[in-house]
Amino acid sequence: MMSKLTAKGISKVYNGKEVLHEVDLELESGKIYGLIGRNGAGKTTLLSMLTAQNPVTRGSVTLDGKPMWENPEALEGVCFSRELNPVSPNGANTMKVKEYLRVAATFLPHWDREMAQRLAGEFGLDVGKRISKLSKGMMSMVTIVVALASKARFTFLDEPAAGLDVVAREKFYRILMEEYLDTGRTFVVSTHIIEEASDIFEEVIILDKGKLLLKENTQELLERSYHVSGHTEEVERAVSGKKVYHEETMGRSRGVTLLLQPGEELRPGYDVSIQHPSLQKLFVALCGEEAD
Amino acid sequence: MNEILTQEKSIYIQIKEMIEQDILRDILLEEERVPSTNELARLYAINPATAAKGVNLLVDEGILYKKRGIGMFVAEGAREKIRARRKKNFYQDYVKSLLAEAGSLGITKKELIEMIAEDREYDE
Repeated sequence: MMSKLTAKGISKVYNGKEVLHEVDLELESGKIYGLIGRNGAGKTTLLSMLTAQNPVTRGSVTLDGKPMWENPEALEGVCFSRELNPVSPNGANTMKVKEYLRVAATFLPHWDREMAQRLAGEFGLDVGKRISKLSKGMMSMVTIVVALASKARFTFLDEPAAGLDVVAREKFYRILMEEYLDTGRTFVVSTHIIEEASDIFEEVIILDKGKLLLKENTQELLERSYHVSGHTEEVERAVSGKKVYHEETMGRSRGVTLLLQPGEELRPGYDVSIQHPSLQKLFVALCGEEAD
Repeated sequence: MNEILTQEKSIYIQIKEMIEQDILRDILLEEERVPSTNELARLYAINPATAAKGVNLLVDEGILYKKRGIGMFVAEGAREKIRARRKKNFYQDYVKSLLAEAGSLGITKKELIEMIAEDREYDE
């Protein structure tokens, strides 16, 4: 069944500071979304509001038209597995891993106990250990186990790859993909490790300084993004009239990044190099400007 | 100089080819100083030894030369030298692969020659 999680104009103000500004977002069932943004862009705030763990200041979040806030019927469809860290305020740190999983099970109506055990085994997690005694990578594994075993239709993972070594990250992507293929659940994964994850995201959501910059099919986004370089004057002629997102100049040489709009084309016949940037390079071009 | 480095080729080869391209495009002029290996290292966030490897290939070919204590410079005649070498390699680098692809698609030599003859964008 097609299902939709919809955020309309959601904003969040903490202590007079707006950390999220009028975000409109529609998440469809059966997709894997990547959420990327710089530190402080509002990713965790957005995820916690989409799952009604945190009230919106303005706007609304609905699942198939039903308001999410304090609505058990809608809430059972979502799981937000929060990032754990040694100073987590929610008392999780004093718990052993198996206690944490037991608590998770009581909150998550579709909890798959067998899957949780199997994944803990696959990641080599010592479930008798206290959360506070785990390494950063091990904490990430706990949040991954909770997210996957929740069996929620809309599952949100906040920085699951943080602290994992490259072998564990590959394992995570593989397990995520297997679960996705088996069940068609929707996943939203925030990450800073853009390059290696970009292939598994059907759509990418970019958040910049509390605003939704874009939400788009990953491949289509990459296909319409260009990096044009060459002699400064020639580059200027080649891209004149187009919106340039980032430019770098060195002597007479210049490189610019642009996103073509539908129907827009790069004019041929200029002596310039034309490349497609990777998602990571594009992200840096779009969001890399230092805050003023 | 402002191209994006890719994963598909060795970095030092890409550095070398970028400098060549810049010489062909009059971004770097003959007898002009080229960015130092440290400047290249900073621009691309690569190891300076890798940048130096690319630069040194161009020194070996006589396209760049070193002025002691000042830096690397574009040699006189560098532009012509690069063009001459690329022309010499054109058959190997482009025509061979063109023919191989045409062969695998069953395009005859005659058809291929017609295609080239009819292309309006390439007129001498």
